[in-house]
Amino acid sequence: MRLLSSNRCARALAWLTCMVSLLAAPRAEAGRGVTIKGSDTMVILVQRLAENYMLANKGQIVQVTGGGSGTGIAALINGTTDVCMASRPMKEEEKRKLRDRFQSMGTETAVAKDGLSVYVNDTNPVKTITLDQLRRLYLGEITSWKELGGPDVPITLYGRENSSGTYVFFKDNVLKGKDFAPRCQTLPGTAAVANAVARDKNGVGYGGAAYAKGVRDLGLIPAAGKPAVLPTAATVKDGSYPLTRYLYLYTRMKPAGDVKKFIDYALSPAGQALTTKVGYFPLN
Amino acid sequence: MPTEIRNTPRAGHMLGLLTAALLSAALWPQGVAHADDPAPADTSAAGADTSATPAPESLEEVAGHVGGLTETVTTLQTDLDKLKRIKITGYLQERWEGSESDRDTVKAAGSPAAYTTFNARRFYLRRARFKITYDASPWGQMVLSADGGTDRPFRLLDAYGALYDPWTIEHHHQLWFGQFNVPFGNEIERSSSVREMPERSKAEGILFPGERDRGVKLQDQFGAHFETALAVINGGGINSADFPTTDPSAAKDVVGRARVVFGFLDAGISAYGGKQTTPLTGPEIETDRTRLGGEVQWYYEMPKLGGGSLKAEAYRGHNVNADSLSTLIAAPTSANPVRLLKPGADPGHIATDFNGGYVTWVQNVTERLQVAARYDWWDPNVDLDHDQYHRIGFALNAFYQGQVRVTLAYEIPTTERALAGGGYEDPNDNLMTAQFQFQF
Repeated sequence: MRLLSSNRCARALAWLTCMVSLLAAPRAEAGRGVTIKGSDTMVILVQRLAENYMLANKGQIVQVTGGGSGTGIAALINGTTDVCMASRPMKEEEKRKLRDRFQSMGTETAVAKDGLSVYVNDTNPVKTITLDQLRRLYLGEITSWKELGGPDVPITLYGRENSSGTYVFFKDNVLKGKDFAPRCQTLPGTAAVANAVARDKNGVGYGGAAYAKGVRDLGLIPAAGKPAVLPTAATVKDGSYPLTRYLYLYTRMKPAGDVKKFIDYALSPAGQALTTKVGYFPLN
Repeated sequence: MPTEIRNTPRAGHMLGLLTAALLSAALWPQGVAHADDPAPADTSAAGADTSATPAPESLEEVAGHVGGLTETVTTLQTDLDKLKRIKITGYLQERWEGSESDRDTVKAAGSPAAYTTFNARRFYLRRARFKITYDASPWGQMVLSADGGTDRPFRLLDAYGALYDPWTIEHHHQLWFGQFNVPFGNEIERSSSVREMPERSKAEGILFPGERDRGVKLQDQFGAHFETALAVINGGGINSADFPTTDPSAAKDVVGRARVVFGFLDAGISAYGGKQTTPLTGPEIETDRTRLGGEVQWYYEMPKLGGGSLKAEAYRGHNVNADSLSTLIAAPTSANPVRLLKPGADPGHIATDFNGGYVTWVQNVTERLQVAARYDWWDPNVDLDHDQYHRIGFALNAFYQGQVRVTLAYEIPTTERALAGGGYEDPNDNLMTAQFQFQF
């Protein structure tokens, strides 16, 4: 290989100077606060965290937006949010997309635990369900409450949209990757699912523990011969509740600056206490 | 300060609104009539038309309305779920290129005349690409993509179906069939919408023209960190000069790739074996087509600056050499319309041992800017001097709203051109590129 001529080096240097000048241009986004987007399950928690954080840190702005874990992760990948909240872990494909753009696989921070609850109407006499029955229920193989020990009435299935992390978690961990029954009615948020079940005596839904207002949780039987387990602080903490999961905050890089301050707050004793108040469970 | 809560408008909300609207439409007339009706009067004596005051609906009738609406919404939801399985993505790239070697000269030749222009400062549409993915999960997917641009007509690129294994949640074992990227190395599978430099390395462009081929591929992931791919393909690729759609040899080419993936460090090896046919007016010449490659990608983070990476690949093998072809084979002309090996030429020299590769450094500078530098090389015949290609390139990428990328790049190729009086020179052919990209 021959060395480059001085003329060509000069051109290359001029080009690099141009690039560096552009790099030195002021950044438009400086001082715009922290934006957080993603899981509808986590909105209720992160909203409270943000409110208390801003009260304790005057001048700090934290914007929280829902849309679903998938939407939040997409926003993290295309750079339109600083933090993504997700009720499921990022998939390998999503991490690779993030790496393609930012040369980083992202940083995952678990901020709370949740017991993914199965809701039924308060008047429903069914108290427990096995994991296998739950799987068959949402695959459409069980269609009447009679098959679960209730009255002979058709079951109405409520679920989440496919951009939801709760949808993906349920599909992966309960349905083992198979598709939901076509008659499962998809609703835009966990609150909507809980609300629908509260109004429908034949309904069943699933979602975060913090949303179980006006409905009753079914006890989950992990395997034949085992006792039913309800999503409580103790069973979620020790992992005996079969649908225990973590709730995450994702950032593109290791958290720094205002983002780090907010995440540190979420992990602090005050932040973890809020987690319990909202209806989720602290990490420890 | 209150937290801002916004909800993204979504189809689910639209369905909710639709339900509410339909419900209101169904119930509103009756509700209004009941509220505004005067006290009932005895109209029987006057023979008044009692149909003007509808009878109140029973609870059963209202329940029937709601049931009907629920059925309508469920049907709409089912249709919407089907549509959600189809994903359309794409991107557009317009480029301005300026080369040192340009001149405003037009060469006319033949009858009717064909024109060759030498101007290399131009705007051109590099790519306009659509990709349609049909998600047939949990058992498979189908992908179709097509693009056009200044350098080629609109044409089919990816066209494959993939069948997933039913026993892993993330479908770690897949069987692909159709037209897809050849599983060899890392650069080949990276779309130009995400690559840091304007074009792939020289070696990759020569060894895998069009990057895709037709055949079947078995793709597997074992555990969290080990992946393999094995494909049987026609060979030659969809941009093959002689056989872009057919395969002249019955034997198929076999290609495989194995790699370990840790996220911050990925490394792999690839191997390719097959035959290449050079068509002649007389008996064709068949030569070995072999490639062996190694790759490594290392990712790191620099505090306050951003992520960075160092990516490298190197290849070696045996391939038909374009320079040898032009030297050893007489091209057909109108006076002598045959394509033959020149007298005395050794057909064994048509394919030569090559090596090539690249090293790319990428550094994000904040979240909206990225700088990249690459050195790549290509030596089509390791036994010959003065035929090597070396290139150094720099690029700056600026991102906007996650959909727009502006690339400025400057590349300095180094080659050796024989001079009439003896000796060699490096022609002035540095290339400056500005590219605007919009993707969705």
